[in-house]
Amino acid sequence: MAFISSGYNPSKPMEGRISDIGPRHFSEFLPPVIAKNFGKWEYHEILEPGVLCHTAESGDKAYTVRCGSARLVSVSYVRELCDIADKFCGGHLRFTTRNNVEFILDDKQAALDLKAYLNSQKFEGGSYKFPVGGTGAGVTNIVHTQGWVHCHTPATDASGTVKVTMDAVFDQFQDMKLPAPVRISMACCLNMCGAVHCSDIAILGVHRKPPLIDHEYLDNLCEIPLAVAACPTGAVRPTKVELEGKTYKTVAIKEERCMFCGNCYTMCPSLPLSDGEGDGIAIMVGGKISNRITKPSFSKVVVPFVPNEPPRWPTMTKVIKKILEVYAEEANKYERLGDWANRIGWERFFEKCELEFSAHLIDDFRDPAYYTWRQTTQFKW
Amino acid sequence: MAVVEFQGSSFEVDEDGFLQKFEDWTPLWVDFVKESEGIKEISEDHQKVIDFLQDYYKKNGIAPMVRILSKVTGFKLKQIYELFPSGPGKGACKMAGLPKPTGCV
Ligand code: HEM
Ligand code: SF4
Ligand code: SF4
Repeated sequence: MAFISSGYNPSKPMEGRISDIGPRHFSEFLPPVIAKNFGKWEYHEILEPGVLCHTAESGDKAYTVRCGSARLVSVSYVRELCDIADKFCGGHLRFTTRNNVEFILDDKQAALDLKAYLNSQKFEGGSYKFPVGGTGAGVTNIVHTQGWVHCHTPATDASGTVKVTMDAVFDQFQDMKLPAPVRISMACCLNMCGAVHCSDIAILGVHRKPPLIDHEYLDNLCEIPLAVAACPTGAVRPTKVELEGKTYKTVAIKEERCMFCGNCYTMCPSLPLSDGEGDGIAIMVGGKISNRITKPSFSKVVVPFVPNEPPRWPTMTKVIKKILEVYAEEANKYERLGDWANRIGWERFFEKCELEFSAHLIDDFRDPAYYTWRQTTQFKW
Repeated sequence: MAVVEFQGSSFEVDEDGFLQKFEDWTPLWVDFVKESEGIKEISEDHQKVIDFLQDYYKKNGIAPMVRILSKVTGFKLKQIYELFPSGPGKGACKMAGLPKPTGCV
């Protein structure tokens, strides 16, 4: 398309420039029933999967219909959401902290009609466009990252792994039959953008090979001391190499100290490490962020590696499904996945979920590793 | 990598317009870049920032942290943005010929 100016004048870039205005205030977008009863809610109920009812002191009721979204969506999809909001909700809608979409209505029948309508909408390939669910003790949307769609440090893909996982656990999105909510999160490298470190089940992209070193360009493209300081295990040190009679300032990596985190690549473009066969996924479980009954906790690695198998990642989804099924079967009511594993003991968790326990799972990172070993004779055969 | 020509000199640059080699820097580079960074004339203050960045990079192999840049030049962050509208990284470091900032920028 030919260039069309927005009115910005590149020869006077600071002229007419508006800055530091921040986001629009949320109150500009509230549906009337929310604006009226703001801060005066009395109680709420989950009427059925995906439909909530909040009752205000005034007696007003707000019905919320929650539906899944792919997070990565086109403008046409957003326009469709807007059309639905125009038709059913006076033009209002909201997105949740897990990237579901919520429509708020003030009439129960209209809310149930909207649920039926949303559940009837499909893409050409057959996928639901707006599947209703994500409430109560089920599996809700997967918090995820950029993957091969946009980032330069991923060890796996985000949108792909999330689609196959949600397909595998879709029943639980539309139902509320688990002991407690199960949060699944995904991050495509161990920068862990998002929530993988504090989720019931987490999918994490990992490398298994040390970086390559582009000696010829490194000093031009990188601030060497930053690459050295980026390494959590002190594997990187500055050095000089000779190539075709020319001396280059560069770094050396002690490969037996490197555990493939990729931090040095984040700081220095001359240290790439992604690798088709080396890269894959680690699975973690047992994290949570709420304070309910037990305090918040980190998720723990229970599967050190499953290969990347695009486009459907069958090994990964099989493991996740198995963990979810055993947890659903065995845990007590209100018990989060981590609460359950802690109660029965992690050796039982591995046995029941039929997961192999390998040396990779034993913490060996600095002093705190010691506290993750067992300093008691209390264990089950 | 692209090569740009300016007043008889050529510079190897990346897609963001950062110099590929610090040693290729000449004062002509500053003249070439200033327009794309929204700067009409290079003042003494601009030069002071560029000089300090180059000096620090030569000595330490890294760009200074923003607080060090402010402390040594005496320019508050607000003043640095007045001098270099794209900021100390994209604006000043690019003009000084330092490598492109990395990390989760
Ligand atoms: C009806 C009979 C008994 C009751 C209700 C009882 C109850 C308990 C309770 C509540 C504890 C504390 C457990 C804990 O640390 O949370 C305990 C510990 C203990 N009991 Fe008993 N007990 C009984 C009989 C016995 C007998 C007959 C013996 C020894 C011959 C015994 C030896 C011990 C010992 C050694 C401990 C300490 C265990 C440890 O610190 O790990 N108990 N008992
Ligand atoms: S988790 Fe890593 S690879 Fe994924 S978006 Fe974040 S930084 Fe990029
Ligand atoms: S990948 Fe991580 S562990 Fe390996 S050298 Fe780079 S920073 Fe160190």
